[in-house]
Amino acid sequence: MRDDVVRAIGLAVAGSCFGAIVWVYSRQPQTLAEASGALSATIGVYRIDEQAFADGLRFFRADQFAAARLAFDRADQAHQDPRTQFYIAYSYYREGWGRVYVDKELYARGLAAVDRAIAAAPRGRIVVDDADLQMHSGDELKAELETGVQASTEVNPLTVVRRHRK
Amino acid sequence: MSRAVEVFWLPLVFLAVTLLGGVRIADRLVFLRPPLSALVLAVLLLAALVRCGAFAPQRLMNPARSALQNLSGVTVLATMFAATVQAFNSVIPESGLPRLIIVVFLFVLLLNTLAASTDRTHVLRSTAVILGSMFVLKYIVLAALSDPTGGWLKRVLLAALEGVTLGTLAQEPFGLGTGYVAFLTLALFLGGLAILPRRDSGSRRALVDAGPGALREAQ
Repeated sequence: MRDDVVRAIGLAVAGSCFGAIVWVYSRQPQTLAEASGALSATIGVYRIDEQAFADGLRFFRADQFAAARLAFDRADQAHQDPRTQFYIAYSYYREGWGRVYVDKELYARGLAAVDRAIAAAPRGRIVVDDADLQMHSGDELKAELETGVQASTEVNPLTVVRRHRK
Repeated sequence: MSRAVEVFWLPLVFLAVTLLGGVRIADRLVFLRPPLSALVLAVLLLAALVRCGAFAPQRLMNPARSALQNLSGVTVLATMFAATVQAFNSVIPESGLPRLIIVVFLFVLLLNTLAASTDRTHVLRSTAVILGSMFVLKYIVLAALSDPTGGWLKRVLLAALEGVTLGTLAQEPFGLGTGYVAFLTLALFLGGLAILPRRDSGSRRALVDAGPGALREAQ
């Protein structure tokens, strides 16, 4: 084979591998599903399982948050869909909110989910048009979750008077 | 050096090192980005390798070669630098006092290697010893100290390090697989260094071997 052709192939292979390595280090995929999902999201062809998402939404509205998250996880296995991640974060928020306390661990998981949603959304802006929710944007939800996580104590009787943004 | 080695084997070996150097296996897979100190250490090692002739960049990039050939040379150089950074990334502890001590120790050791580098064999051997001992320190000694379940090595080390607060030494424990990945990474890296194009010192050595008479004749 001609020298130029061999060298061009070598450069293309090395360049592609280097690009893939940079991508892996920046996206940090945990599973093969996440890797392939993130790759397809990068080129704009990622699709969630709509049936599983509908199931998750039904459980969410019935306040069955653990079941809702299982369904949402099944719908968005690669954690690349902003809307699904938003609902997952919201489910942690609702489950973690108590009348006189907040569950910081659940809030922290919610924060991680809303961060994923914001990272996956175009220009980091996520707005969910759902009349059943009091917060529609990722920024509002993140602020609420951060407030809960940063509170000095989980038990605070003063939260009795605080409005729960259901 | 054959064309296949230059165009495919060297870049792919070094890219494999670049990929694996930051892999840490815990409850999840982490691809750890290299610290800035790893870049500085990589520059020092690269300089030592060039100085001793273990790596001859002029054989990969020179005016007699075509643009594409020189680009292949640049690729080898770039991937080698990335692999060196990641090789250091794999042996430098992640946090705390051990990280500081080892970075300073490696810095001094590499400066010494750079200053004293005489021939290729010594520098390659020195590199293998440096990386090998850092591997043992991080993945066997520090890993044993950081092991929450304990073990005979931890008990021995605790007895030896009586009075030292473990909080300053302990690292975040990683899965057993991390050590195996690091070992493979370092083996690949040292293998890659061994097949790098070396400086051709044949003509100079022939003149030296022939003695001063030959030099006078030549003049």
